[in-house]
Amino acid sequence: MSEIILQLITAFTGSLGFALVFGMRASHLFYASFGGFISWAVYLAVYSASHNEFFACLVASIAAMLYAEFMARVRKCPATLFIIIAIIPLVPGSSLYYAMSNAVLGDIEAAAFYADQTLKWVLAIAGGISFVTAVHELRLRR
Amino acid sequence: MTLTHEQRAELIECLLDMGQILLENGAEISRVEDTLLRTGKAYGARHVDVFVITSIIILSIEFDDLDALTETRRIYSSTGTFFHKIERVNSLSRSLSRELIPLSELRASLNDISCMNKNDSVIIIGGVIAAGSFTLFFGGSLDDSVAASVFAVFVTALQNYLGRTEINTTALNLLVSLIIGLCVGVLCKVCTFIHMDKILIGDIMLLIPGLAMTNAVRNILVGNTISGIIRLIESFIWALALAGGFMTAMLVTDIIFS
Repeated sequence: MSEIILQLITAFTGSLGFALVFGMRASHLFYASFGGFISWAVYLAVYSASHNEFFACLVASIAAMLYAEFMARVRKCPATLFIIIAIIPLVPGSSLYYAMSNAVLGDIEAAAFYADQTLKWVLAIAGGISFVTAVHELRLRR
Repeated sequence: MTLTHEQRAELIECLLDMGQILLENGAEISRVEDTLLRTGKAYGARHVDVFVITSIIILSIEFDDLDALTETRRIYSSTGTFFHKIERVNSLSRSLSRELIPLSELRASLNDISCMNKNDSVIIIGGVIAAGSFTLFFGGSLDDSVAASVFAVFVTALQNYLGRTEINTTALNLLVSLIIGLCVGVLCKVCTFIHMDKILIGDIMLLIPGLAMTNAVRNILVGNTISGIIRLIESFIWALALAGGFMTAMLVTDIIFS
């Protein structure tokens, strides 16, 4: 349980760090970082219910995009800025690192495993976001 | 509002600047195309054709008297991220669809936006918070997190400094990962209680093209296939450069300490 709390807190602060690096306006910082908290909370909840990483990540990125679209309207600012910060905890930095380091160390089997995992996560995140975008575009052409 | 030929030339220049600011600071391709289209029409163009990929903007505007202008703008670096600029260009273009401002004012606000600079200390603080957090997030100890935060100062400062030079992203990743790999490698040989992989993951989150990869796949899924593929391949090469830097660092530290 303490591990979950730690992860949720660091998902928030990690997103905050990136929001600062990416030059987000100060008044949006809290709302943007909160998106990172939401995406990781949804990921953990769905994962504990389904035990499927890909599915959990997909649902988490859908939730993150819905949050970003909502915040874009409330804060009057493009949704992209919020979604990029919100998906940061989902970005497969660690599996990309292990894929690289195993490839370097010559353990091709482990490298392939982590590379496969990285691609699945990337696809799940991008798929979730694009799903919401696609639904959003389901309006008649003017 | 009917524009003279000179004004039209000025308009297309402004539009290209607008697109360049968006593209250089991390806006998605469809936003760049959409913004140029909307702004061009707001200024009375009958038809606007815009094609954007990560390295070029091709813009063609046609007016009611069949006078047409086409210009291209080569974009050399579309890897930056500065959200406040995107937000300002976006609100500028939205305000234009409500109320047009004279071209000289548009030019002034665009110059104003492109002169904005990030605050160096804010970037470093952000990097420190991000690296420290992600070391803990991926299961590192508190010691690891502190070490990662200290190295994050170097990573962000180095990234920030080198980013202003002519160096390309691949070489930058190679250089930064080599330097950081050497520092962390030496530290881990001296202090055996910290974990090299957790520290590096925290710091690498600042460099790793995970976000670029995600955005690339996202571009492909929404139909901007060319840009998506370009960015996807670029991000693979950046990851390879990172791996190359770390591999060299690991080999060198092993040789020094054997």
